[in-house]
Amino acid sequence: MRVAIAEDSVLLREGLAALLTDAGFDVVARCGDAAALLSAVSSLGPQVAVVDIRMPPTHTDEGLRAAITIRDRHPSTAVLMLSQHVEPALAMRLFADSAAGAGYLLKDRISDVAEFVAAVRRVAAGGTAVDPVIVSSLVARRRPDDPLDALTPREREVLELMASGHSNQGIADRLFLTLRAVEKYVSSVFGKLGLPATGGESRRVLAVLLFLRQDQVFPG
Amino acid sequence: MRAGLAVAGLAAAAMSIALARPGGHLLQAGLFVWILLAYVSCGLLAWTRRPESAFGRLMVLVGFGASLSTLAWSSNALLHTVGLALDLLVVALFLHVFLAFPSGRLSGPARPLVVTAYAVSIGLQLTVMVLGGFGPGNLLRVFDAPSVAEVVHGVELVTLSVLLLAGLGLLGVRLRAEPRAVRWLIGSFALGLLSLAVLLVLGLFVIPGFAQVQQATLAVLGLAPVAFLAGLLDARLARASVGELVLALRREPDDLSPCLARALRDPTASLLYWLPQYRSWVDHDGAPAALPSSATLIERDGEPVAAITHRPADRELLEAVVAAVEMVIDNGRLRAELRAGLLEVRASRARVLEAGRRERRRLERDLHDGAQQRLVGLSLRLGLLESRLNDDPAARQALAAAREEVATSLSELRDLAHGLYPAVLSGHGLAVALESAAAQATVPVRLEVGLDSRLPEPVEVAAYYVVCESLTNVGRHAGASTARVEVNRAGDVLVVEIADDGVGGADTTSGSGLRGLADRVEALGGTLRVWSPGGGGTRVRADLPCG
Repeated sequence: MRVAIAEDSVLLREGLAALLTDAGFDVVARCGDAAALLSAVSSLGPQVAVVDIRMPPTHTDEGLRAAITIRDRHPSTAVLMLSQHVEPALAMRLFADSAAGAGYLLKDRISDVAEFVAAVRRVAAGGTAVDPVIVSSLVARRRPDDPLDALTPREREVLELMASGHSNQGIADRLFLTLRAVEKYVSSVFGKLGLPATGGESRRVLAVLLFLRQDQVFPG
Repeated sequence: MRAGLAVAGLAAAAMSIALARPGGHLLQAGLFVWILLAYVSCGLLAWTRRPESAFGRLMVLVGFGASLSTLAWSSNALLHTVGLALDLLVVALFLHVFLAFPSGRLSGPARPLVVTAYAVSIGLQLTVMVLGGFGPGNLLRVFDAPSVAEVVHGVELVTLSVLLLAGLGLLGVRLRAEPRAVRWLIGSFALGLLSLAVLLVLGLFVIPGFAQVQQATLAVLGLAPVAFLAGLLDARLARASVGELVLALRREPDDLSPCLARALRDPTASLLYWLPQYRSWVDHDGAPAALPSSATLIERDGEPVAAITHRPADRELLEAVVAAVEMVIDNGRLRAELRAGLLEVRASRARVLEAGRRERRRLERDLHDGAQQRLVGLSLRLGLLESRLNDDPAARQALAAAREEVATSLSELRDLAHGLYPAVLSGHGLAVALESAAAQATVPVRLEVGLDSRLPEPVEVAAYYVVCESLTNVGRHAGASTARVEVNRAGDVLVVEIADDGVGGADTTSGSGLRGLADRVEALGGTLRVWSPGGGGTRVRADLPCG
């Protein structure tokens, strides 16, 4: 699987490359800034790009803008964004109207190699990865007549894993359940929350995230 | 003294008429008497009303001086000679009195002008007489050179005429500087000087209309005291306004400038204070102000304490106003000093906060590029090591523990960095930063951000903290189920409002973090208000200047 890496810290960039090479990825581009990434993506067409959100020259929003541009112009290249901050708004900017083939993880997640590699594969395959910290802060919020109160602890776990972007099989593997049991929990959760159970696994992430967020945002 | 002068004035009038009768100069004598009585009576009135001003005395002198020339009509040789010698003194006196208005003192170029006029009107007149001018009966005749005397007399008349015109020029300069009320008065003086100058030049030639011009001139000169009387009344009105000023000042108004403007009848008038510790003039609000050159200083022990800025004004009125203001100036000065101090404190607080903000931003960057980056690198290497390790359970366990340790450190560092400075704000702007804050709030938030451009970063940071702190309070104290955040720009003000549907009754005094927010907002010149009625939810509103 072909992957491009954009990260301005040489140490991290080479570490990431080594990690992904070890895991069987073909690292086709190692970029130090957003411009290099964009040209690598358009010329090499990797299946996935792992992008640091804060890059030169201004270290502000170059990474995010590059990621959005790639999603816009090169839909066949998935994007996994890495950040040192928990910023749900930036994740939502990246997902815009579809979370398929996109991910937002804290850089910390790199240390759990197996988990991280799985997330890169998932995103590359058109799935989603949402950092658990974002999901848990959304799940923890108080709501008027909280519908989450109706969930069993097991259903809550399933909900959080769904929101993080895991597939039913992924959830089954993590919770040591059968696929059928997971499917049952999923439909129960959707029923209790009043969410339409339509759409595949990749589309339900955004629906669940938006439900959990339950903010109304009116951009100016 | 003044009664005596009045009697003397009447006697002089009677004398002039008596002297005129034999020669048939009655009409001319009448005009001289008109001048005598007008100047003496008006002079005495002015003397009574404003004893501190020399002007009244000067007018009395002019009255008597004018009647002296009628002595020339006397058949007594000595009186005739004295009358002749003082015939043109009245010209210098008129010049003197008009230029000395209203204080009775001469200043600047007026002084040498008047002195020269006196010297010419007496000196050259005596020279003419010594040379045998003015025909027989002149007791001072030493030489018999009437033609030379005539030339000298001509020079005398022309010189006096030129001096009068120069005086006219001085009046013209003053006319522009005087308040409107005094202008017509100066104008009547100017007319008097002009007609006198014309009369003197006409005296060189023998022309038929001379007597008529002389009579008209004397009539005009006699009118000047009437104009002056009106001016005196005007000045009395001005003095009444000083009385009003004193009354107004007794009520201890916060700002003295409006009272000053009324008293001086000058809407531009204002009071400035000198604050030696700032080496600066400040206005009522304590804001630094430039001192215009035309200002009148109020001094104490040789040091300026305040200044009245004004358009050119009557000096005595100004002195009265200064005297009135001096009594109450200390309070006003203290208030201005307090305000200046407050402005200074506010500015220094803003500087301190801004320096703190920059420092926090720098620290956050250092953390991001330094410690955080290194720890991420370390955890990555640990992860790689772990994945490459052969199946040695003990080593795997030790590595996993180390990885956990690093993960905890990273999480703590992340909180620390975000607490130091919201990097998302400088990177992505207020709207995105608030969206993230809303998404992480403990209750659902309805967020409305009506901004179409970035704002100065200190303003964005303050707005961000107001929202975050308020949302934290909502989570901690309010018992609310939802919150609403609205951020909109109204002209040059950014209005940030956070409202919840909680229990209200928030502690707005201390320890709630609201004080710190208020400091932050006020340092930028903004205001923070909190409404928290019991049972009615809490509403926080910050108005931040962002122009």
